[in-house]
Amino acid sequence: MTDKMTHQDEKELQALLKREFPPFGTAELQRDLWPEMLRRLDARLEPLRVPWFDWALAAAVAAMLLLFPGAIPALLYQL
Amino acid sequence: MNNHPYLRAYMAGIAVPTPGLLVAMIGYTVFRLIYHYPVPVERFIVFPMAVVPNAWGLWNVLFVAWRRHVPLSLGLHGALLPILLAPLGLVVSALLNFSIPGFRTHAFPILAPGMLIAYYLVWKYAVGFLNRVLDVA
Repeated sequence: MTDKMTHQDEKELQALLKREFPPFGTAELQRDLWPEMLRRLDARLEPLRVPWFDWALAAAVAAMLLLFPGAIPALLYQL
Repeated sequence: MNNHPYLRAYMAGIAVPTPGLLVAMIGYTVFRLIYHYPVPVERFIVFPMAVVPNAWGLWNVLFVAWRRHVPLSLGLHGALLPILLAPLGLVVSALLNFSIPGFRTHAFPILAPGMLIAYYLVWKYAVGFLNRVLDVA
């Protein structure tokens, strides 16, 4: 009697698991993701290019702060 | 990584001024204790600590939300932020009853263009880098 009940429980459990976890029939990827991953890695390795006018702007700010150090606290207050 | 782009934008924006606050705080503490700089640090720090980083985060969220509708580069978008922050900083300093030495004398001829340029560069390179790392822009 006990063996019969255990067997029945196992069958029910098996059915329950099969219902909740269907087989991975459609787990295949639609496309290959690796080339895209490589492209993104390559894109991130590109060196930073700073145009000349950005260098000029940075130099202008540095010169302003050197000439007028009294403006530094006010600038720090806003940063 | 398309989940929560606004949260990632906020984090990218807030991450830039937060380390800057540490540097500013150290600088002000040194100036205050050693050179007796006439600014009460406990009142001064409220604006850079509470308002500025959150404003940066929210400003970056706005950039991500508007970039399809408003064709503005990240650097120029960031350069607009001081136009909001500068008057707000003045209001906060007035409410907390202190003034920043040199602010009035240097405000427009030096500070305004300097701040716009600094914000343009920091937003273009620092926030832009974090936006790329977090896949926001």
